[in-house]
Amino acid sequence: MTLTLIHHQWKAFWRSKNSGKSITIRVIMALLILYLFANLLLVSFFLDKILLSVFPNVDVVSAFTSCLLYYFLLDTLTRFQMQELPTLSVKPYLNLDIKRRQIINYLSFISLSSGFNLAPFILTLPFLIKIVLPQHGIAVFCGLLVAILGCTLFNHFFSLWLKRKVNLNAWWMLAFLGVIGLLIFLDFYLHAISFSAISTLIFAAIIAQPVLAIMPLLLAVGMYFINYFFLKSNLYLDELHSASVSGKSVSDFPFLNRFGKLGDLVANELKLILRNKRPKSAIMMSFFFLFYGLLFYNNPKLGAGYGAAIFCGMFMTGIFIINYGQFMFSWQSSHFDGILTSRINIEDFFKSKFLLFTIFSTINLILTIPYAYFGWKIIMIHCIMYLWNLGVNSLMVLYFANRNYRRIDLSKSASFNWEGVGASQWILSIPLLITPFIIFYPLQWLGYPEAGLTVIGLTGLVFIITRQFWVNKLVEIFNQKRYTIAEGFRND
Amino acid sequence: MIEITNLKKVYNGVTVVDIPALTIHKGETIGLVGNNGAGKTTLFRIMLDLIRCDSGEVLSKGKNVVSKDGWKHYTAAFLDEGFLIDYLTPEEYFYFIGSLNDTSKAEIDAEVSNFTDFFNGEILNRKKYIRDLSKGNQCKVGVVSCLIQNPEILMLDEPFANIDPSTQIRLKNIVRNINREKHITTIISSHDLNHVTDVCQRILLMEKGKIIKDMETNPNTLEELEDYFSVLQ
Repeated sequence: MTLTLIHHQWKAFWRSKNSGKSITIRVIMALLILYLFANLLLVSFFLDKILLSVFPNVDVVSAFTSCLLYYFLLDTLTRFQMQELPTLSVKPYLNLDIKRRQIINYLSFISLSSGFNLAPFILTLPFLIKIVLPQHGIAVFCGLLVAILGCTLFNHFFSLWLKRKVNLNAWWMLAFLGVIGLLIFLDFYLHAISFSAISTLIFAAIIAQPVLAIMPLLLAVGMYFINYFFLKSNLYLDELHSASVSGKSVSDFPFLNRFGKLGDLVANELKLILRNKRPKSAIMMSFFFLFYGLLFYNNPKLGAGYGAAIFCGMFMTGIFIINYGQFMFSWQSSHFDGILTSRINIEDFFKSKFLLFTIFSTINLILTIPYAYFGWKIIMIHCIMYLWNLGVNSLMVLYFANRNYRRIDLSKSASFNWEGVGASQWILSIPLLITPFIIFYPLQWLGYPEAGLTVIGLTGLVFIITRQFWVNKLVEIFNQKRYTIAEGFRND
Repeated sequence: MIEITNLKKVYNGVTVVDIPALTIHKGETIGLVGNNGAGKTTLFRIMLDLIRCDSGEVLSKGKNVVSKDGWKHYTAAFLDEGFLIDYLTPEEYFYFIGSLNDTSKAEIDAEVSNFTDFFNGEILNRKKYIRDLSKGNQCKVGVVSCLIQNPEILMLDEPFANIDPSTQIRLKNIVRNINREKHITTIISSHDLNHVTDVCQRILLMEKGKIIKDMETNPNTLEELEDYFSVLQ
């Protein structure tokens, strides 16, 4: 039975309209994931060297064991953020003559196929083979491996259980984060407890007595059953879904009223962003990008010269345009027919997008002002890139939006979600990333970097001033493409 | 009001809509019936310029719906939930629709209050987003959002399918009233022959993309339609 269910899942994957068309995307994704794993592998091969340079006075194996618990703590946190719950796909099976036990086993089994469960082994196995096996022998090697397996599985089922708990009651999240915060505080600030000591203690015991490795595995089995029984008593559609529906906020944005119809459209889109999971995380991302500058400006090697500031400036003031704009109009795919038949003027529709971009870019520009700490020149460049973003990048994004026919389900989370990703996003990224540099670098090479900046700023300004012309062009293209766009959005 | 000439739509070699000529006059209430796949929804979508037809044209008040946007100002349609903005509350959605017609919130409130019975207390002030409403209640929101636009043409695709019996009866009364008082041209598709023959003055029967019967409703119409559909089995 479980096999039949997996077979169905496999069919669902290959037969979904999104995956059929985008085989190239999947290949690129696979390459990307392989690349990530290759990086992990590289780290793990040199893990002994890395450990030796960080802890020069300690034996490599005990340095390794002292870090393991931290790794799994971090793992829990990342899983909590990113791991997906496999829930919705069981809906058609609940009313059939299939035992609950089988459905739950299927859910548990299918969830195991996650990169999170592979990563710890890729990260530690080469080290274990290279160092532990020759030094301590096969028994210890197996013991550590089993212990790591136990911890991984424990984390896996723990995070599934916790996420389901959080779905039912958000207080669980606060409690969880509170406990983690408290532990970190106790360890790093008060030094009341030491995870590295506990970690060393546990794994040293396993090295001394490999049979003890059964303990983490037993914990994992226990966690599996907690998860199992929890699911068994909660396997109802309404409860597996997201949190309660009562008491939704009814928000308004009075400051948008002055923009008339445009303001109404923007207010709607703001609601779209704030009330749906995926666009909301796109916005969160764009605020995280505000710290991007710290990576560059702190580092004298990277931060010197105008190139870094152009790059950071473009991303920090324009991340919303890039991150949210690349999926336009897919965000509105579920009610696109409604937009087409309503009295929304298409010109207003496009102008509202520009207004939305302007609002977010302006907020981001204001928030980047503290970078003045690294010199006023940086702020100037940020302003220039702000103009560039509003003039050129927003136009570019909307030009590609007319070529984007992929539906997006707003309620799914953003991490590892490739729904709606199509060729247009990849093609879009190329001109977006290189155009300012095509302008800047030749002029810098000729010895006029300031002229390069001026040209970038002026280009942005010219495009802002001539926006009406470009909006008309966009509307023209939209009118040719709207049938294709609407049809693409109708397909699930 | 609406004139269709030589309309044709082909999907993968299968003709889904093929209407040589059809005229819909102002104030008519039209029932569109036909089995699944007869082309009812496709016809609606072509009339609303959501799908490009392969040949022919749809004229609304003499103007082609493809080239001019003007028809949107007097046409309201609810075909499926894809017309609703599901992350808004019903009130917000009504206000938004109102804002597109330059109607103030107060006026919308007044308009919407006419439908208190129709809503049966399940739509307003529930602090729910449209996506959290049942299909029947979503349908109510869709229908009312059409009516508050004060359209001259109203198109509803299977409005009776998901709503409860009381609401079905209320909806029929609403359709009759707007036709009598405001002479709104209404096109309704339905699988419920009782309902359509009840409210519609003219019935269009579709089969495989063609309109095979176009008749004025009379006391025998229901029987005639039932004959047609039972023969098919």
